[in-house]
Amino acid sequence: MASIDPNFPCSLVIDLPLPTHRLASSALQALQVDNELSPLVKREFSLTWSNDASGQSNGVAGEGQGTDDQLIILRTRYKATTNRMLRVAVNGFMESLGVVLGVMEELDVDVLEQTSPP
Amino acid sequence: MIALGLEGSANKLGVGLILHPNPTNAKASAPAQILSNIRHTYVSPPGEGFLPKDTAKHHRAFVVQLVKQALREAGVSVQDVDCICYTKGPGMGAPLQSVVVAARMLSLLWGKALVGVNHCVGHIEMGREITGATNPVVLYVSGGNTQVIAYSTQRYRIFGETLDIAVGNCLDRFARTLNISNDPAPGYNIEQLAKKGRFLLDLPYAVKGMDCSFSGILARVDDFAAQMKKGELRDAETGELITPEDLCFSLQETVFAMLVEITERAMAHVGSNQVLIVGGVGCNERVQEMMGVMAKDRGGCVYATDERFCIDNGIMIAHAGLLAYQKGFHTRLEESTCTQRFRTDDVWVQWRDD
Repeated sequence: MASIDPNFPCSLVIDLPLPTHRLASSALQALQVDNELSPLVKREFSLTWSNDASGQSNGVAGEGQGTDDQLIILRTRYKATTNRMLRVAVNGFMESLGVVLGVMEELDVDVLEQTSPP
Repeated sequence: MIALGLEGSANKLGVGLILHPNPTNAKASAPAQILSNIRHTYVSPPGEGFLPKDTAKHHRAFVVQLVKQALREAGVSVQDVDCICYTKGPGMGAPLQSVVVAARMLSLLWGKALVGVNHCVGHIEMGREITGATNPVVLYVSGGNTQVIAYSTQRYRIFGETLDIAVGNCLDRFARTLNISNDPAPGYNIEQLAKKGRFLLDLPYAVKGMDCSFSGILARVDDFAAQMKKGELRDAETGELITPEDLCFSLQETVFAMLVEITERAMAHVGSNQVLIVGGVGCNERVQEMMGVMAKDRGGCVYATDERFCIDNGIMIAHAGLLAYQKGFHTRLEESTCTQRFRTDDVWVQWRDD
């Protein structure tokens, strides 16, 4: 990172690529509602482009960094006062993320339509 | 209208789908139909209670397949569902949060409204629906709650409640003392042992007006258990050794008599002659029996449900959520948090006209 916050020296960035912008956006909205319980931890969610989208190779040079549909990476920035607090917070995040991914995998509209008997 | 309900405030994870027939049929209020009601219980080893972290882990592991199973069992597709209801509180923090994340994700992916439901109101509304009780005094007894509730001007008012631990918590912790199995539930196992009890021991009787207290009783009966294990506890009249069955019997008789007393006091105050028992401890046949005797003496009757609905379940959340949703209530995504403390009387009961 550009600089280290002196009050929160332990930091971590987690980039999670997802297949579509819809899934990434849903995951962000589902996860960001709950605040971090501890004041010793700060967390930021955002969506970002994949490396492919920002390059010229996929032919979107004219659109600069690309459209919203290409925002498919869920980026989570964590910073904490100690490594222990960072570990606790990130573990909790990973567990919630597991639920989110599980719902995406098996309970999305198109998945259910495929698996349910006609 | 069809609602999907998700419940996970304690060690039971429940998913239910409920159908309210089309409300455009004017005043003909047909009863609700239960399309599916699935539950999975986290069972901890004997002598141990369930901890929030382990319970949340259990809920996360099972929530997806339970929703899938509920949809399949109900024969319902995503398009048929109108809203997704979840337990907003009260309950344990981590289990509540693990379920609400799933509810939010479903709401976003399916494009359905989200409805946050109070756990206690869920029990009350499901109890009313199943039993047909119109305006009863409600005794809500479980591992986390002990309240005497009556409806008045758009609120479920708490007339009396425990001042410390819930009666179910008292029973569960005593089960830990005796190292009784937690499967299917410690309260159920205490009930079975109590049926074979023969001697009644003196335990503190801690009714305080409309309220009651259970921590002193638990401490005293734990002390008795310690004496019993050393073989020093005898019945005062016959001199026979006291057994675990006797302790379970004595504990039940004492705490249930307290519940009967505060419920009767509320009935007299409110002028009702109906009692509705909801919550996990409401499964107990002895408490139903004792309450039945009291209600009959007062010219009324007792309503109770069986373990499909007494114990925490998803269908009660779906039902209460759908009642609120049909009156225009829904929870915005930004407000779809959960809270460990959510008082019963904080809920505006919009769906009742009386």
